[in-house]
Amino acid sequence: MPESNSAASQLAWHYENPMAQAMEAHRAGVPVVGLTSNTVPSELIRAAGFFPVMLRPAQCATPAADEFMEKNVFQARIRQIFESAVGGELDFLRAIVLSRTSEQEYKLFLYLREVAREGSRDGMPPVYLYGLLHSQSAETHAYGISRTEELKRQLEEIAGRPIAARDIAEAVVESNAARAAVRRVLRLREGVPRLSGTEALPLIGAYWLMARAEYAKLASEAADNFERGGPLPGARLIVKGAPLDHVRLHATLESHGAIVVAEDDWWGTRSVGVDISANGDAVKAIFDHYYLDAPSPRVFPPDAADRWFESHVRKGVDGVVFYLPPEDYVLGWDYPRQKRFLEKLGIPSLIVREDSGAEKLSAESHESIERFVKEIARKR
Amino acid sequence: MSEKQLQSTVAAGAYQKEWFAQLRRDVFESHRPYAILQADMPFEIFQVMGLPAVSNQWWSAVISAKRLAPKYLDAMNAMGFHDGLCRYCSLSMACTLADDPGEAPWGGLPKPAMIAARLTCDCIQRVFSIWSEALGTEFFALDNPGATELPPRWWELSRHRWRELFEQHRLDLTVAQFRVLIRTLERITGRAFDRAALRTLMEGVNRQEEYFEEVRELICNAPKTPVRMNEQITNVMAAQWLRGSEWAIQHAKNFRDEVKARVDAGIAAYPGERRRLMWVGAGLWHDTDFYTAFEQKHGAVFVWSMYLAFGPDGYIRYGLEDPLEALASRTVSMNEQLHMPPWANEWIVDQAKRHRIDGALVLTPLGTRPSATGNRFIERALERAGIPVLPVFADMVDPRNWNAAKMVERVGRFIEERL
Ligand code: SF4
Ligand code: SF4
Repeated sequence: MPESNSAASQLAWHYENPMAQAMEAHRAGVPVVGLTSNTVPSELIRAAGFFPVMLRPAQCATPAADEFMEKNVFQARIRQIFESAVGGELDFLRAIVLSRTSEQEYKLFLYLREVAREGSRDGMPPVYLYGLLHSQSAETHAYGISRTEELKRQLEEIAGRPIAARDIAEAVVESNAARAAVRRVLRLREGVPRLSGTEALPLIGAYWLMARAEYAKLASEAADNFERGGPLPGARLIVKGAPLDHVRLHATLESHGAIVVAEDDWWGTRSVGVDISANGDAVKAIFDHYYLDAPSPRVFPPDAADRWFESHVRKGVDGVVFYLPPEDYVLGWDYPRQKRFLEKLGIPSLIVREDSGAEKLSAESHESIERFVKEIARKR
Repeated sequence: MSEKQLQSTVAAGAYQKEWFAQLRRDVFESHRPYAILQADMPFEIFQVMGLPAVSNQWWSAVISAKRLAPKYLDAMNAMGFHDGLCRYCSLSMACTLADDPGEAPWGGLPKPAMIAARLTCDCIQRVFSIWSEALGTEFFALDNPGATELPPRWWELSRHRWRELFEQHRLDLTVAQFRVLIRTLERITGRAFDRAALRTLMEGVNRQEEYFEEVRELICNAPKTPVRMNEQITNVMAAQWLRGSEWAIQHAKNFRDEVKARVDAGIAAYPGERRRLMWVGAGLWHDTDFYTAFEQKHGAVFVWSMYLAFGPDGYIRYGLEDPLEALASRTVSMNEQLHMPPWANEWIVDQAKRHRIDGALVLTPLGTRPSATGNRFIERALERAGIPVLPVFADMVDPRNWNAAKMVERVGRFIEERL
């Protein structure tokens, strides 16, 4: 285990204090731009001279969201972002950039715009929609390039200066270095894991919240330390479903003796993907990365959406946990197909339909997890 | 629906039934292709290509009216699709998965040559993918770029200044996707696309919607509504699915004539009308009698739903030199216009004022969660405009959690206490 001031614990601290570096940057006079998902090209934001930070407000009461947002429709994180924007917590941001890669974000964009238009709250940061479409066709590809150019133009307008090619190149190099560090952490989870899922998520998640260069340094250091540790026994699980920006489900699964070795979501294994190409047109290269490699609920067709999952399962895993909390109305459509895929390979799966975010999971969930883990451990 | 006051309503129902029976004959006997489309697809293109198209939502409503929804939805849940998933757009697919032509309405939908949807919510691509696999047919998806500029009072810009209203980048992408769709349809039908024919059809759509606009004005201005909301919907939707066709234009005209004659003769749908209600949201297809349940006791008549009102404002396009681009402008923002702030709330308040609405029922569809969005903004805007709102939590097609007697009582109380 890392010591308290170790690289791992510093990353974990940032994971728990997601706005810490952004506030620091703001105090130091660097304007901060908030992002709402993995599909917003943070490199362009960085190149414009802003500090990009993923918005992940703490769980708290949501009176404003309750007033404007329909119950049972928006994910907890989206509601919290709305709450903190309307509540004034995000007023220090220069802008918020949302992406068209989920219906929820698009609607969040329209809602925030409307609250600002109604004038019920002054001082909210302006919102921008990045029009990335995730269905794969020549038309959406061409459209995405032009929308990425448009985002660049908008950022230049906010910054009051053009973005130089050199700035983009530097931002790409910097974030690719951070990507490489994330991939080092991920490698420790492959084969016989040396890192539990509960330990891994904060190390990976801090990527979204910190200055990339500092992140890269700490994450590499943390990976070095974990490399020296011993292998972890236990049934190896992939978690698939609603993106998990907290460790509670992992902790529960691992408390029953399993090890979570991957997540098919962007707070986990799929956070950074491959590098952004340094060759050719930089804006197109950035776009291609987010268009082709970043996961979202709107990736289409299904083969493209399932590709990562299927290849990762084939690499070797003992079981899959589908996490479909009560608020889900999207991923549940994929579940029977993905379950059939697993059945063909003889890989057991479990579905968790309780919200693992707020409270502890119920005794029944614990029991079914325990049974599931025991069963697959027996089969190994 | 029980009483039909208008000849047009009877004619619309009969025509639709015959149209569908003909479709079945064409498909089964002559092996002609047809398509199933989401309601917000550009039906116009299919029409000029001679490929008959059935709307998914319409079929869903038919299943629901035959009270088959619970059975199909239960069967779908039993296949592993959890019960928190959308039902409105998936009910037709559930009917396919249930695979029971003996029981399905009118013998069920034959296999289409293609199904197609606009990717509005995140679930629809999934529903249609599963459906296309079950049907063994291809799925054409039109992706849906987000709106980033939403100027006020869209309905004042949508007829002539639609290029400004809908953002060039969205129109361009939509036209580019239409071109791919056209190539696909050329392959399926073996016919060549005729741009001039599309333009003529679009002019026909304008004429049809102008008749609907006259009906809307008649309803706005007559002392009491001459036509119930239920009958408005039947007449409008029968024509909308075939919009721009000769039958649809003629039907819209007959409908206009009949409504006008009623107004001229001082005939009200319900002579005891004292309060005017609006229904915001998709129809409650499993219980359309609900809409007439407040007349006798409370003198409250449903006067407005989006189905008639959206016709003129949402469909009319002048300046058809580039018919594909005009059609793109009609297609690209229906969701924002009908459901999302600021466009939906602004428009609905304007409609409420023009229709002299006393109270609004706003449907928050339970089993169709993403369609529920935007509602709080609509409710707030109506209340601010002095129009009391009763939010209704129910599903359009699934009656399993619907307690009609209790709802009638709740609405009755709302009418008496707030209007
Ligand atoms: S959200 Fe709306 S469009 Fe999407 S599947 Fe549900 S009813 Fe259909
Ligand atoms: S309910 Fe709204 S989103 Fe759904 S089909 Fe009707 S108009 Fe479109």
